[in-house]
Order: sequence, then C-alpha cells, then structure tokens
Amino acid sequence: MNKSALIDFIKRYDFSFFGMCAAVFFIGVINLYSATHASDSAVLSNLYKSQLIWFGTSISVGIGVSFIKPTGLYRVSYIMYVLNLILLILVLLLGHIGMGAQRWLAIGPLKFQPSEMMKVTVVLALSRWFSTQRPDVPLTFKTLIIPAIIALIPSLLVVVQPDLGTGLLIILIFMVMVFYRQLKWKTFMIILAIGLVAGTITYEFGLKEYQKKRITTFIDPDLDAKGSGYNAIQSKIAIGSGQFFGKGFKKSSQASLSYLPENHTDFIFSIYNEEHGFFGSLVLVSLYVVLFFRFIWLSTAVIKIYDSLVPIGIMAILFWHTFVNMGMVMGLMPIVGLPLPFMSYGGSSLLMFGIACGMATSISNSKNLF
Amino acid sequence: MLNEDDLVKAHRHRADLIGNIVLFCFAVIISRLWYLQVYKGSMFAEYSLQNRLRKEILKAPRGVIFDRNNQVLVHNSPRFDIVLIPQYLRDTKETIQKLAQVFKITEESLANQLKKFSGQASYVPVVIKKNATPEEVAIIETEHYKLPGVKVNIFISREYNDREVGAHLLGYISEISKEKLIPYRKRDGFSYQSGDFIGVSGIEKMLDLEVRGQDGHELVEVDARGRMKRYMEGTNIIDGIENKDPISGENIRLTVDNDLQHAAFTALEGKTGGAVAIDVHTGEVLAMVSRPSFDPSKFSKELTKDYWSSLVENELNPLRDRNIQEHYPPGSTFKMIAAVAALEEGIIDENTEYVCPGYFKLGRRVVHCWKKHGHQKVNITKAIRESCDVFFYKVASKIDIDTLSKYANMLGFGSKTGITLPGEIAGLVPTKEWKLKRSGEEWQKGETLSCIIGQSYVLATPLQMVMAYSVIANGGTLYRPYVVKEIFENSGKIHKSFAPEEISKIKLSQKTLDYVKRGLYEVVNDRKGTGWWSRGKGIMMAGKTGTSQVIKMSAEKLFDKCEEQEYKYRNHGLFIGYAPADDPKIAVASIVEHGCHGASAAAPVVRDIIQVYMKKYHPEKQSAIIEMEKKEYLAKKRIEDAQNAIKASEEESGD
Repeated sequence: MNKSALIDFIKRYDFSFFGMCAAVFFIGVINLYSATHASDSAVLSNLYKSQLIWFGTSISVGIGVSFIKPTGLYRVSYIMYVLNLILLILVLLLGHIGMGAQRWLAIGPLKFQPSEMMKVTVVLALSRWFSTQRPDVPLTFKTLIIPAIIALIPSLLVVVQPDLGTGLLIILIFMVMVFYRQLKWKTFMIILAIGLVAGTITYEFGLKEYQKKRITTFIDPDLDAKGSGYNAIQSKIAIGSGQFFGKGFKKSSQASLSYLPENHTDFIFSIYNEEHGFFGSLVLVSLYVVLFFRFIWLSTAVIKIYDSLVPIGIMAILFWHTFVNMGMVMGLMPIVGLPLPFMSYGGSSLLMFGIACGMATSISNSKNLF
Repeated sequence: MLNEDDLVKAHRHRADLIGNIVLFCFAVIISRLWYLQVYKGSMFAEYSLQNRLRKEILKAPRGVIFDRNNQVLVHNSPRFDIVLIPQYLRDTKETIQKLAQVFKITEESLANQLKKFSGQASYVPVVIKKNATPEEVAIIETEHYKLPGVKVNIFISREYNDREVGAHLLGYISEISKEKLIPYRKRDGFSYQSGDFIGVSGIEKMLDLEVRGQDGHELVEVDARGRMKRYMEGTNIIDGIENKDPISGENIRLTVDNDLQHAAFTALEGKTGGAVAIDVHTGEVLAMVSRPSFDPSKFSKELTKDYWSSLVENELNPLRDRNIQEHYPPGSTFKMIAAVAALEEGIIDENTEYVCPGYFKLGRRVVHCWKKHGHQKVNITKAIRESCDVFFYKVASKIDIDTLSKYANMLGFGSKTGITLPGEIAGLVPTKEWKLKRSGEEWQKGETLSCIIGQSYVLATPLQMVMAYSVIANGGTLYRPYVVKEIFENSGKIHKSFAPEEISKIKLSQKTLDYVKRGLYEVVNDRKGTGWWSRGKGIMMAGKTGTSQVIKMSAEKLFDKCEEQEYKYRNHGLFIGYAPADDPKIAVASIVEHGCHGASAAAPVVRDIIQVYMKKYHPEKQSAIIEMEKKEYLAKKRIEDAQNAIKASEEESGD
C-alpha cells in the first residue's frame, strides 16, 4: 500500500463508532476506579486495570473485525451462529459436570461467556435470513416461524444456565428487528397474546425460585426475602443523593461503605449518578443516545437490506442493555443483572461490544466505496 | 420487483419510528433522574448523610425436639456476644479502658484483640467477648451512651438437655463452611448465609429443612454514633419496604422415650457399644444409644479445638453411631435366622437330633463347638438354647449358602432398614455370586460353616439385628424402623405425622415360629440357657446371645479365657431379646465391643432397658409375671422339697 492509498484509506475509515464507544468507556473506567479504589480487596481495587486491558483487546479485535467486508459477514452469519450455539451447549454440559458456574467457558486463565457473543450472532443470523426473504411484504405468522426459532433456541439455552436477563434480551433484540422488517398488525396482536400466555407459564413453572423473587420483589417489595428490595433502595439513595451536580469524583459514600452490592458491575450507574449528579447523567445519557442514532442513521444510509438490518440489531443490543440497566438501578424495573455497555466491569461484554462496533464500522466503510 | 435500495428506503420510516421510541425511553430515564436527583434529591442527600440504613437479619429459632411423651430433648437458649464496630468508635482509648474494666481483663489484651481485625473494613463488627454473662450485658446496656460503637448481639444457641445421652440420634449443628454455602443453596433452595448453622448429623441433619425455619429481617437506621433505631414505617422517604418477622422452625416429636434412653445409656456405662430398642408392632424406635458419646451442645456454642480433637483423634470414634453406622458379625445371634431357614426349607424338623461331640469334620477340616466336650444329643430347641455350633454345622452341610442368604435378606439383613437417619450402612449377606464378583473365586463349602454361626462375611448393624428379631416376635412382619412421630408447628398444628410402614409380610409356618420362639425363650429362662444369668425379674425375656469374633483364632486359642486377651483382640458381645415372651411388645439389641461374651456384657443392657420399659408401660403385666415366677419358683421348690423328703425317708428306712 503506498502512501496516498493509506491516506485515502484513513480518510474513508469511519472512526465515529469506536470514537463514541471510547468516550463512554473512558468515563466508565474513571468511574470504575472511583467505585472500587476504596475496597479492601486487592482484586477489586485493581479492577480498573484489567478493565483497561480488556478494552484494549476489545478495540483491537473490533478494528480487526472492521476489515471484514459486509459480504464476508453475510457469508459467515450462519456458521458463526451455529458455532456459538455449540459453545452454549458446551457451557451447559461442562457446567453440569462441574456443578457450578454454568455461564463461563475457561480457556486457560481466560473466562469467557458465550452468551454475550450470542447476542451478536443472533443478529447476524436473523439479518441474513430476512435478507433472503421477499423484503417487500410484511412478515406474517408463517414467515416468522423460522426467525423465531433462530432467536428462541439460544434464548432458551441461556435461560437454563440460568441467566434470565440475557435470555430475555435476545427476545427483545429479535422483536426490534422484526418491527424494523415490518409486521402485520394482526400477526403482532396474536404474538402478543401468545407471549403473555407463554410468559405466565414460564413464570409458574420455568423460573428458579430466586428469579421469581426478583420479579415479585419488584411488584411487591414486602415479599423480599433475598434483599433485592434492599439493593433497589440503596441504589435509589445513591442516585438521589447525587442531586444536581453530584458529590464529586471519589466521593461516593454508598460505594465506599459497601452499602451497594455489585457496585462495579450492575450498579455502576448508581455510583456515577451519586458522584456526578443529574448534570453528569445528562452528559452520559446524551452520549448513549447519539451512539444509538449513529447506528440508526447507518441503517438508513446503506443499499443492501442485510447491511441495514445488522446496525439496527446492534443498536437494539446496546439500547436494551442501557435502558434495562438504567431502569433497574432507578427502581423502574426488576433487577435482572444486565451490564451497562462500556461502563460496567466485564470482559466478555466489552469484547462483544467491540466486535459489534467493528461490524458497524465495516458496513459504514463499505458504504463509502460507492 | 423493487431494487434493494428502494427497499431500504421503504424501511426508513420505521427507522425513524425506532429513533422516536429510543428518544421516548430516554426521556423517561431523564425524568426519573430528575425526580430522584432534583425533585427528591435533598431528601435523599440528607438520608445518605445522616443515616445509614442497614438490614439486620433476625435469625429464626430452630424447632424444639421432644421425646414421645413430650419431654423436651433439644431447645434453644440465647447467648450474648459483645461486639465493637470500629467505624463508630469515638475515643478508642477510653472505650478500651471501660471495656477492660467490665470484662476484668487487661487493656493490652483487648487492644491486641482489636489489632487482629484492623485489616478489615471499619463497619464490620469485631467480636470482643463471646458468651457474655448477664451482668456484663447489663452493664454494657446501661452504659451504652458512654460506649459508642459497642453493641450486644444476641445469638441463639442449641441446648441438648441430656448432653451425651442420645447425642448420635439427635445429632448436632455446626456453622456452614464457606465451600458448602453455594452447593447447599442450590441443593436446598435456601439462602444460607455464612455464619448460619446447619444440621450435621442425626435428626438435626435429617430434618434440617423442617427444623431450621425462615430468617426474618429488620431495617434499622444507624446514626452517626452507631446507635440503632428501628426503622419506622411511614415516617421515612423510603417507601415500599417492610420488616419481616422470622418464622421459627417446626418442632419434632420423636418415637423414643427419654427414660429408656437414659436406661440404655446407664447400662452401657464404661462400655463401648450400642443399644437399640424397637416397638415390635410398629417399628418405632424406642431407644437408640451409642457409647462413647459426645456433648452436642458444645458444637453450637464455642467448639474448642481441644474438644474437637479429643473427639476426632479418639480411636473409639465417639461421633459414630454404632447402631446404624457400624456393622458387626452377628455371631450366634445369626443362628435364629439359620434355624428359621432350616425349618422352613425342611432340612430339619422338631424331631431332628444331631450328636455334638464338640467338633465337626468337613473333609480334612475340623471345626470346634464353643463347648469343648460337646452338647451330646441336640435338637433344634436345645441348639438355640445352648447355642450349639455343631448342630448348625450339620445344617450348614445340607443347606446352600444362597438359600441361607435368602432368609437373611428376607429378615432385613443386607440392605438398609430405611430409617432415613444419615449415614446408615447396609451390612453384608454373602452369596456365591457376590464372592465370585469380589474375589473371582468359587464359594467354598467350609465358608457356609462360618457364615451359619454369623462369622466371616456376614455383617449386620444392631438395628438390622433387632428388626429381624422383631419379625419373629410379632409373627412375621418386617417394619421399616422410624424415629420421628410427628412434625408440628408452634401452634400445635400437626404438619406431618408418620405411621408404621410394613416393608414385607413374611410367610413363616406357625411351627417354625413356635420352635424358634421356644428356643429363644429357653435361652433366658432355662437353667442351661446361655442367657440364664441375665434373665431379670418380671420381664419374661426371650433372646439370643452372640459372640462375634474380632480375629480368626486357632483351635487351642479358642478356649483361652477372653478376658486375658489384649483388649483389641477380645470378642464383641451381643444380645438381642424381646419381651414379654408370651406377648412381645419390645425388642432390644445391644452390642458391647470387646465385651467378650454376649451373656455377660450385652444381655444385662437389654434386660435393664426392658425392665424400665415394662415398669413404665405395662406395670400390670410385669406384676403378673412376677407373681407367676414366684409361683413357679415355689412349685419347683415344693417338688424339690418333696424329692428331698423322699430321699431322706428312703435313706432313713434304708438304715
């Protein structure tokens, strides 16, 4: 590659996705440091370092992915989906033998959650399926069967891990994509009815006791037996006490006194709010919203239907994570344990978001070729 | 058909719609943030500054355990720990000074104690005095305004009223270990916290889930000085959370009788062994005691290292229940089963007589009877009464081992009785197939000889033995033994009650029953019986003695005095009996390890238990038996007197 070609390439390369993610991430890692620096445990207080390493890895992998052309993504969509399913089954089998952690696959010292990556591979598989169907007619009950199966299999595999939050998330992503592909109103109503019935049955027979309690605690905190209601209240105190401008960096009292459990993962947003107040949250939320709109904009600017569906799917992943996590720490939703993208601690989810951004970048770059 | 570009355009308005939904969702988030941080912000800020909301777990008391007559065996009693929360300390020196005064210890040792915990977070309480006396608690409580950060914690400790008596049956509780926390949560669907106590053995383990109850919680506000005030509903900005009272565990009514437990425990004084008593018509366990024992109360308070190692390092293994967790060769007590098998299979009948010269030849092998010079002519009743080995050797030469084992299995040997207490073992009944599998060798005829007198491969727990004798006593029903009568709530409402459960009805001919029972009766009630010297008054006991060899002995050593052997080589003594012989109610088995003889070591234990039982539950029957025994004695005496008189007159006239 000669010099002008390189400059040309850099000019064409869309840095907006990685740029925005990095912006959120740096707010996140500073916040993570603030939330954990006072911890007695060395593992906790050094968490921000491993988070940085994970971010570096994720961005590198993401940039690597951005060089795969959308046609390449299209070609491997199903293969990736099937491979990921196999990994999920492997987790279940190994977890069963090991009588314990059923979410992780360990490769040497690295632990990896295949359920994270599953969100992206489901988006790829669905996009490819939809793009092979006649795109000018709304989806009917009949044409929905196969995509529904594509989403349900991994969703159920994740639910039995048991990770109810991620399982439901896959269904939510599926719903956004179906909505985008267009659905007949009648079909929509029928699906809604089936969903309600299935939901009730799952709740009655399919859920583990602690999962049921999370839901009942949300609806009626009196029933709290595991302290979920307590977490929700401590989280509300943390957020509320931040007021307009927050208590300031490293000034969170709820975090340092350990009143807030899981404050580096699911409840990281509470700490952020406590320290930076309403004003800080406004900045953070705006960043997220701009990021989501970048994806939506990309999906309307491409030519191929596959290239349009993938960004919408990825947007759905990011949006649901963000919305559910924020809603849960503010007591608007049950506590389901979903991380806040780029803010919560967690390697697998960072890697997944990195790869997803790489894909969006690839689609955006290829669009500029024309 | 449209080209793809147009299609994407056709999707565009739905993309806009999605964008609007996203905006709407975050508008909700922002409004909620506004509500929490700006509208209610100052209240939350105040709350976070001045108050610390903390959830205190209220431990549920475990259920109480009663004996069959509602006597309390296990209950709970409060224990007070004084703790210090470093976060709320004002003047460390002054506090330490004051506490040292109260506890009458030096300031340095207290300061050192605190230093040990200086690494941990300052809001975690440090225990400075476990098991404080009521006086100490009173001082701390009254002066607590001078002692910021010092707190009295109440714990519930488990009290076992009878200490070592029945410890194995009741079991003990102990703090759950960190490793078990998660697997046990999964197993029981119960949110165990570290520091929780769980049942580790006996009834405490078997019914842990029923007995443990449900912890409650209480939200307390901790003010800046570390004092707590109970969270009051409706007075705070925090809505939608309530306190929850603990639900105490369910109570247990056992089938055992505490008086019998004590009788058994006393009878086993100074011995190593066990005793188990059964109601022959229900399978209820009336007593079950093992010695040496331990004090379960010590486990729920402060288990000292010394006490623990004294238990674990003791060769006699005091934690093991010898009635169900240990098996022994049943020795001559197995002859009852051999007799049943021989009679039922038609190998012998009531008229069969063998001659016992004191030894038996099988090919080139010579085996001895325990009686050196033999029993001479022996029929089935005499064979049981005097425990003649040779009689049974002759039976053994005619019976197949698998047939013998079939009867042993029928009477409950070789499989768990199903008492559901933790750690029960199944014992062993050998068959040809079993031996081939185990060693790859064919069954030897000579091995049947050892097995028929309850040695070599045959192994059984005392509980299995007593269940087998119950079958004879009640005329053919094998029950599943059980220890729990009822599980009931504090209100008295019975939650679950347990009824007798028949495992099988065994068809035994009346003749078989009669002859075996006759033999067992004569063991104790005939002058020549092996158990004569332990017969006891007013109980009309029937039973069988047994001696179970610890090591194989050479012929000459066989007749050496057992008491002169080294302790660990001495034989185990066994006795299994039931009473009253004419209408059996209770069956008891006892083993005394290295007790040498069943008759002298184990039979008195059984006798003592039965005597207490008869006196308590069947006093009329007991006095009737005493009356009868007196008459019998007088009649015998009169005959003797008459005979003597005749002799005397004959002698006189002869002169």
